[in-house]
Amino acid sequence: MGGGRKVTIEPHRHEGVFIARGKEDALVTKNMVPGEAVYGEKRITVEDADTKIEYRAWNPFRSKLAAAILGGIDNIHMKPGTHVLYLGAASGTTVSHVSDVVGPDGLVYAVEFSHRSGRDLINVAKKRTNIIPIIEDARHPQKYRMLVGMVDVIFADVAQPDQTRIVAINAHHFLRNGGHFVISIKANCIDSTAQPEAVFSQEVKKMQQENMKPQEQLTLEPYERDHAVVVGIYRPPKTKK
Amino acid sequence: MVLFYALFEHAAGYALLCVQEIEEIGLLLPQVEASITNFGNFNKIVKLAAFLPFKSAQAALENINAVSEGILHDDLRVFLETHVPQSKKKKKVILGVADSKIGAAILEELGIQCQTTHVVAEVLRGVRLHFHLLIKGLTRQSAGQAQLGLGHSYSRAKVKFNVNRADNMII
Repeated sequence: MGGGRKVTIEPHRHEGVFIARGKEDALVTKNMVPGEAVYGEKRITVEDADTKIEYRAWNPFRSKLAAAILGGIDNIHMKPGTHVLYLGAASGTTVSHVSDVVGPDGLVYAVEFSHRSGRDLINVAKKRTNIIPIIEDARHPQKYRMLVGMVDVIFADVAQPDQTRIVAINAHHFLRNGGHFVISIKANCIDSTAQPEAVFSQEVKKMQQENMKPQEQLTLEPYERDHAVVVGIYRPPKTKK
Repeated sequence: MVLFYALFEHAAGYALLCVQEIEEIGLLLPQVEASITNFGNFNKIVKLAAFLPFKSAQAALENINAVSEGILHDDLRVFLETHVPQSKKKKKVILGVADSKIGAAILEELGIQCQTTHVVAEVLRGVRLHFHLLIKGLTRQSAGQAQLGLGHSYSRAKVKFNVNRADNMII
């Protein structure tokens, strides 16, 4: 972004996420690896006294998590130090931003089945030491049980008809009690004939059966069509009566 | 009486845990569920019996490849042979494992009864949560480091293994 001096950075309501105010506002994260873009995104350097801090623009049209944040999601449950299990990591574009958000004290276990995008994911992970790449089918968490510890959040963007079940079995293995899940649902991938709203409510029902308590649902208009993000808590602590 | 052990596989090595002696495993569930978040309580029920760290990154990779396919690796065989006591008439030994496939392999080769019930899953959840506290000299960071290294080598091997499969696209 030219004329870097005019841009100012403000922290976003979500810890670890920032807003760049310049000619146009943009959602950004603090770059863990200054000087490098992951997928050709814009970088903004801000000089603060003597130190230079670099931020990377986060495009809501390419990342559902960014779309959810701009859509005003209440809580993403990811902040510096969080351990995240990311299902459906693809080439690692959104994963790189999550890695920025959780920072050097956090960890991102990035699971992706496709070897083609897996190769890109491994390359992203080489430079970012808080990403653990796992090229394996998320349907079989027992195959990668040695690689994953207990996590605070599961983020899922797997676009499979049995997505909710996939998240549930991963939660049984790896999500701590009272941990959260953030699931992006593409209605077309679950059932292309039904109404999107019907699909979303059906998925929410499935979650409730698995001890996953949905807390918030948000559609991703105008960035994605017929998408919803559902956020909830797993095994919520019992409230004392 | 039943002697109840649980096997936990981690990127750093194999851990064998001894779970409180009980009459029937099903009775344990509410206790485990209640204690899982608190390490002090959890450690009263589940204790570390033995831990075998992997000798090298290469050994770790061989072991994870075997574990994910449900095959009994030699390292694991030796580990179980030395640390799991023989089943006797009065004292049955049951080993809780995470995957029924590896359970079948252990039963076939070593004759140890294996279980993959709900209780086992809960115990292993607790072990996963408190693993860095159970093993001396391991911190949450170093446990993560082990997973990081192994994750890279495992994933790279996966991608390399099928170099041609995904790339022969017709353009």
